[in-house]
Amino acid sequence: MTDAVSPSRPAAHAARPPRTVNGSLIAAIGMAVLLGAWIAGVRLFDVPAYILPRPEAVLKALWSGLAVSPLSPVGFYLPLWGTLSNAAVGFLVGTTLGIVLGSLMAESRTIEKLLMPYAFALQSLPKVAIAPLIVIWFGFGDGSKIAIAALLAFFPILVNCFTGLRATEPERIDLMRSLSASRFEIYRIVKLPSAAPYIFAGLDMAVVYALLGTIVAEFLGAQQGMGVVITQAQAITDVAGVFAALVILGALGILLHGAVRRLERRVVHWANRGKP
Amino acid sequence: MLMAQTIIDRPANVPASPPLIEIRGAAKIYPTADGRGVRAVDHVDLDIAEGEFVCIVGPSGCGKSTLLRMLAGLDDVTAGTLRLGGRPVTGASPDVGVVFQAANLLPWLTVRQNVALPLRVGGHHAPAEDRIDALLAMTGLGDFGARYPYELSGGMQQRAGICRALARDPRILLMDEPFGALDALTRERMNLELQRIWQASGKTVLLITHSIGEALFLADRVVVMSPRPGRILKVLNIPIPRPRSFDTIVSHPMYAGLASETRRLLNAEGGIE
Repeated sequence: MTDAVSPSRPAAHAARPPRTVNGSLIAAIGMAVLLGAWIAGVRLFDVPAYILPRPEAVLKALWSGLAVSPLSPVGFYLPLWGTLSNAAVGFLVGTTLGIVLGSLMAESRTIEKLLMPYAFALQSLPKVAIAPLIVIWFGFGDGSKIAIAALLAFFPILVNCFTGLRATEPERIDLMRSLSASRFEIYRIVKLPSAAPYIFAGLDMAVVYALLGTIVAEFLGAQQGMGVVITQAQAITDVAGVFAALVILGALGILLHGAVRRLERRVVHWANRGKP
Repeated sequence: MLMAQTIIDRPANVPASPPLIEIRGAAKIYPTADGRGVRAVDHVDLDIAEGEFVCIVGPSGCGKSTLLRMLAGLDDVTAGTLRLGGRPVTGASPDVGVVFQAANLLPWLTVRQNVALPLRVGGHHAPAEDRIDALLAMTGLGDFGARYPYELSGGMQQRAGICRALARDPRILLMDEPFGALDALTRERMNLELQRIWQASGKTVLLITHSIGEALFLADRVVVMSPRPGRILKVLNIPIPRPRSFDTIVSHPMYAGLASETRRLLNAEGGIE
């Protein structure tokens, strides 16, 4: 979880060349080496399964969670759905608020001066520490999961949206002013698209934070969700089960990140193609 | 001190109609942190008649862009008055189209959407599709409307920039070093094209450049400005007949004299190397 308010650079990842066969090969070799070291290490040093289970045991736990009916109470699908749906609602709420408040702050010095100190104060708090408070306010149901996911997703979007809007090239604003464009037209036609690469960099973080926030909230108490799967496996020292849940969450994070990147390349297709 | 000279120095071929652009004692002081301010433009007087093509040459930082920004309504004048068609400049005017340095197209809009932009903002709502077609065709961009700016060469981007400036059919085109970012050959081609567009459209053009060759090729009158604070050193008439071409203009009997005088004026002030 970040405690820094600095916006992430939008240009960094859009410039990466498309993945090549070579790249996937390197990734596959890395994976094989890691798994090999894992298997060898566990056997060689005789690590007990309650500290580090064998990869086979994790695979087995994964299989038993995935190779069931989607509605099975012991499968991963129902908890995954619970976690994902709460994370998605939290993500939507957090990013919408982030874009609206970031825009207001970028457009008005008064609102900026009014809200910026609170934004920084709240951002410098470790938000996981606020989580128990949110559970007290919103209860153990979906509300607290959505609220924590929204809170975590909110900041990267707020900061990146604000920074991106302020970074609009002045020549482009001059162009709009020379056409007597209204303030809203300048915002909609020039500033918002200018800020889009920044906003996408924020979305990339926010989507993972929303998932993280939901899991943290589920640790604190929930009826269902991947966080519950992890705490239940932990309670019976089913370390392979914990690992399996973590693998699912890791894969989900990569998928979501990939989806944001794909959307970004589609929407912000002009970025890093050279200035017009 | 130069007021009388600049106003009297009118070319014989320009009719004595009231000036479309009137600049009287215009000055611009930018505030600075120490409170003294930077004097960017100092007491500029200039009249430009309807249909005239005037080029301003001067060293970098002589305030020529500031003068153009004030005419476009993007900057306030600190002193003096600016009038367009007799009306004082209070902001952006529908009579004015601005061509920016390096085209300044919006990269997320297609060429066509960029050209149509003036027809959908600032109180305009209905882009006249056939007018945009005509503009694109006139500048050789007819097949490129659906492309994005990054798919176009620098010269084509600036043609789209000129189309956009013409979209509202303004009487005045203000051009701020429009071809400065282009290579020499493309630049000459763009100058030829601009001459053709200007002759066909009858617009009044004020173009800023630091290329003496470009100024002499395009202008009816060349205004030479001093380094900061920008003042008008001299206004030169360029009575070379049109349409001009780069092959023949250099052999015109007056060309060498005008070029060397412009260069001398700029060098005397230590501006252009």
